[in-house]
Amino acid sequence: MTSAHPLFSAFLQRGLQALIVAVIVGVVSFTMMQALPGDAAYRIAAGRYGYDMMDAAAAETVRNELGLNQHWSIQLISWLSALAQFDLGRSLVYGTPVVDEIATQLGYSLLLAGGAVLISIIIAVPVGVVAGLKPGGAIDRLTLGVSILLRAIPSFALGVVLVLVFAVQMRLLPVAGFRGLEHLILPSLTLGLGLAAVSNRVVRDSVVEALGSEWRLFSRTKGLSARRTATRHILRNASLPVVTYVGVQMAYLIEGVVIVEAVFAWPGIGHALVHAIFNRDIAMVQGTALTLGLIYVLLNLFIDVACRLIDPRMRSQ
Amino acid sequence: MTDQSPTALTATVAHSRIKPGYPRIIGLLLLALLIFCALIGPDLIGVDPVKQQLLEARQSPSAEHLLGTDHLGRDMAARLLSGSQLSLSLAFLSVLTAGLPGTALGVLAAWRGGWTDRLLTNISDAILALPGLLLVLMLAAISPGSWWALYVGISLTLWVEYFRYTRQRARIVLAEPAVEASRLLGFSPRLIILRHLAPEIGPGLLTIAAFGAATAMTAVAALGFISVGVRPPTAEWGVMMAELLPYWREAPFLILQPVFCLVLTVLALHLSVGGMQRK
Amino acid sequence: MFLRSCAVVLIAAIFYSQPTLAETKSNVTIAAPWEVASYDPAVSGYAIQKLEIMENLVDADEAGTLRPGLATSWSVSKDGLTWTFKLREGVTFHDGTPFDAASATSALERAWKQPGVLSKAPVKAVSAVEGSVMFTLVKPFAALPALLAHSTTIIPAPTAFDDDGKPSALIGTGAFKVKKFTPPQSIDLERNDAYWGKVPTIETASYLASGRAETRALLAESGDADMVFTLDPSGYSRLAEVESVKTIAVPIPRVVTLKINASHPFFANAKARQALSLAINRSGIASAITRFPEAAAGQLFPPALNIWHDPSLPRLEYDVDKGKSLLTELGWVAGEDGILIKDGKRFSILLRTFPDRPELPLVAAALQDQWREIGIELEVSVASYSEIPAGHQDGTLHVALFARNYALTPDPIGTVLQDFGPGGGDWGAMGWQNAEVAKALDIISSTGDQEKRAPYIANVARILHEELPVIPIVWYQHTVAIASGLQGVIVDPLQRSYGLSKVSWSK
Repeated sequence: MTSAHPLFSAFLQRGLQALIVAVIVGVVSFTMMQALPGDAAYRIAAGRYGYDMMDAAAAETVRNELGLNQHWSIQLISWLSALAQFDLGRSLVYGTPVVDEIATQLGYSLLLAGGAVLISIIIAVPVGVVAGLKPGGAIDRLTLGVSILLRAIPSFALGVVLVLVFAVQMRLLPVAGFRGLEHLILPSLTLGLGLAAVSNRVVRDSVVEALGSEWRLFSRTKGLSARRTATRHILRNASLPVVTYVGVQMAYLIEGVVIVEAVFAWPGIGHALVHAIFNRDIAMVQGTALTLGLIYVLLNLFIDVACRLIDPRMRSQ
Repeated sequence: MTDQSPTALTATVAHSRIKPGYPRIIGLLLLALLIFCALIGPDLIGVDPVKQQLLEARQSPSAEHLLGTDHLGRDMAARLLSGSQLSLSLAFLSVLTAGLPGTALGVLAAWRGGWTDRLLTNISDAILALPGLLLVLMLAAISPGSWWALYVGISLTLWVEYFRYTRQRARIVLAEPAVEASRLLGFSPRLIILRHLAPEIGPGLLTIAAFGAATAMTAVAALGFISVGVRPPTAEWGVMMAELLPYWREAPFLILQPVFCLVLTVLALHLSVGGMQRK
Repeated sequence: MFLRSCAVVLIAAIFYSQPTLAETKSNVTIAAPWEVASYDPAVSGYAIQKLEIMENLVDADEAGTLRPGLATSWSVSKDGLTWTFKLREGVTFHDGTPFDAASATSALERAWKQPGVLSKAPVKAVSAVEGSVMFTLVKPFAALPALLAHSTTIIPAPTAFDDDGKPSALIGTGAFKVKKFTPPQSIDLERNDAYWGKVPTIETASYLASGRAETRALLAESGDADMVFTLDPSGYSRLAEVESVKTIAVPIPRVVTLKINASHPFFANAKARQALSLAINRSGIASAITRFPEAAAGQLFPPALNIWHDPSLPRLEYDVDKGKSLLTELGWVAGEDGILIKDGKRFSILLRTFPDRPELPLVAAALQDQWREIGIELEVSVASYSEIPAGHQDGTLHVALFARNYALTPDPIGTVLQDFGPGGGDWGAMGWQNAEVAKALDIISSTGDQEKRAPYIANVARILHEELPVIPIVWYQHTVAIASGLQGVIVDPLQRSYGLSKVSWSK
């Protein structure tokens, strides 16, 4: 599987994954379309012209135009080939091109995800390091307990609790909406806390491992202070599993984005996906699911590259 | 390497031997209690979880309704018990459906190697390409409100972990000289598996199973919360959370109950296999 | 070093998150469940009209009395076939282009061609005559002016359309112009200083579409929204205790109704529909769910629609046994699990509803239990509201639950005609005809003489009451939460306007 250049193989592998994602999403969306009750032609025509405008003639036009009277296998092929040409169609509800809708929403989701990762790093790294410096100590045990508890709380429940505490009781932060940066804080905090609950333990474990390893000895022998040791050697070595783990957390993040956006009415892709499923807007479902899936693959690719860059040992593999 | 799903990674991080410890015992006891409740369900208190009594809505706990009534006058305790039946049975079934084939295929891949291994690995990679909840969400969207869509989706997502973990460990084990010797001596594959492999991967599989069950239940609740999961009047913890959210001010004890149940169950599962404890 | 930088970031975050002090007292934020999906008045007119972005030729006050809007006066020819609406002069659209007969006519022609309120009117042609718009009718139709007050007949500017004739911007003549539109969730408005009428006091406004009722209640409580509509019963009672917020419940001519597919074999016989109605515990629903016990529907038209509401009609009853016996008469027999069976078919049906109005899923859940008593297995689908017209059009609908506004046009005849006229309507009767009703509706719509109409209106009300092509459940109470400092708020029972141009902040 590993070819000559590790970076190249990473790109290849992820490229293949992206393809698989597209096929899976395309097939599932197609199945959704076929499984809808009632007439698909009706639905699409209604989406275009409005339900009031509907009559049998309009549906017939759509049916012929989109070839909906053909056998499903032929339809599937044309469906997938449209997808391959990046033709995501128009939203069945809004009538606007799916690509346009997603372009707007993507920014919001990336903002949310970025905020969540930032918050999780801000929380997890210091907490993990402090806990790791004295394994088995009071702080270590406390953070373990809190982490387990936090991880057990579903993200939407956590979101609701945070809203109740910060937005309503303390009136510190806004309840919902997306006007300004302050609206970003609660949703990112919700996601970030869940991420940090696991990340901080990984940091802690890495710190413990690095502390007990030869690097520390080497560095101290070199005459570096305890602090310098921590930053230069321990952190760098500890950061490799952390970076890997951040990659693993991406799945949690993507899933969390979907749920948290629904709770906070954050107008990102996850919210759009849930909305689209609700509205039976198949084109949007396909578009948003595809985007989320591809982002996941992309993120994993970044992690791959980052890993290879951080660890010189891997470069020469 | 970066594909390792959270629970597999955790499994390698966790104890490989079942060691006693207070958290673990508490977790196991809690789990036993929950399974007991789920097995009997609402019959435990003999109340119909679906029967409405509109004029007795939103009542605090009383002698007649141990945990109060919800917004339509249905008994909360009965609904929670009914919900536990749904969540736990779905989790159990998914784990089983994911675990048995997943493990078997993992052993197969490790044993046979070659193109079998490569094919299976590629399939597992393909499924891992999509984040689990997304896959479940889309399958649930095909047929909203159906139990089987959730079941299939969750099973599909979970089996990959069993497969990868088993394959990874089995490869190591099967390369050992002891196994080599057993093979040369002509022992049947079944015996080899039972003798050498099972004790190695058993505890890890249990950990994955517990985490998988927790993931399954949280996923069902999440989907229920955003109204893509099970349909009313079925009592499901996520659906109950969504239903009771509007009443969080008037009657906070209502929404706290399903949240508490879910958190407790997930906690029990995590604790019973050692949580995230390292040495 | 690291910890220090962490602290700085954290403190900065907290500071930055402080809500802007002394919220600008010239802005009003509205929160409501409805998303504004498109620029097209035919689709999103209800929202565009309420925000006073676009206007009608004919306006109406809160009592439903018609008054001049963009048309200063109107008259009808002796034979009742030609209506002339004289247009107001000196009006411009938000982008400066003039409002004239040509732009008005093209807008109304478009509205007429698209099925909406005008399509059911007997219009033959729409034309521009010097400074006026002329409607030529096929037969007399007294309610035409009322239809021109409807949200689908608002006037967009010709420049609001792109080259393909698709609506691509929100440009009208109203008191507010659009600063920023982020479909489908928010619209930012600013005052139109060149408005032909009274210029609003407030400078800016925002509209926020928020689907969850509890979120809206929270927005009201935290002050993030100044006017919040369609509260759930729980949020409403909670907000009544909050000092910074005033809560109002206005009975409006909207009714929580069940639409029945009368062409479905289960419901074809009126007795079956009556049985469904008899099994509904309306007072239980009104007390426990919507929490307005007096609003249990005794008949279809609420007291707010005073001519159409007939106090002499007997109240719709709650009698489970009677309902059961009616179904038995029709040949239904109870199966083992209590669900009725006839000819091998279980009485198992699907109810469609949507969550935008918070009461609806709750009422649907209550119905599930109540209908189980008479042996009907009800499955509930809470999905997009568009599933209901879709089900009407393709005939797959069983029953649907929604809240129908019978005064969409100030004269209910517009809506009643749409719903119960020949062929029924998306939000009205399905598979049900009644010649007497059709004739009566014809007569009612042809004349403005209330005395002449009265007996026919009473007849229509009576037949709808007995035949029950739609079954009323509770009369709607429109719940609103308003920030205490906001003055001049009028809650429009006709739901044509949020009244933004009339509100102001107290000092």
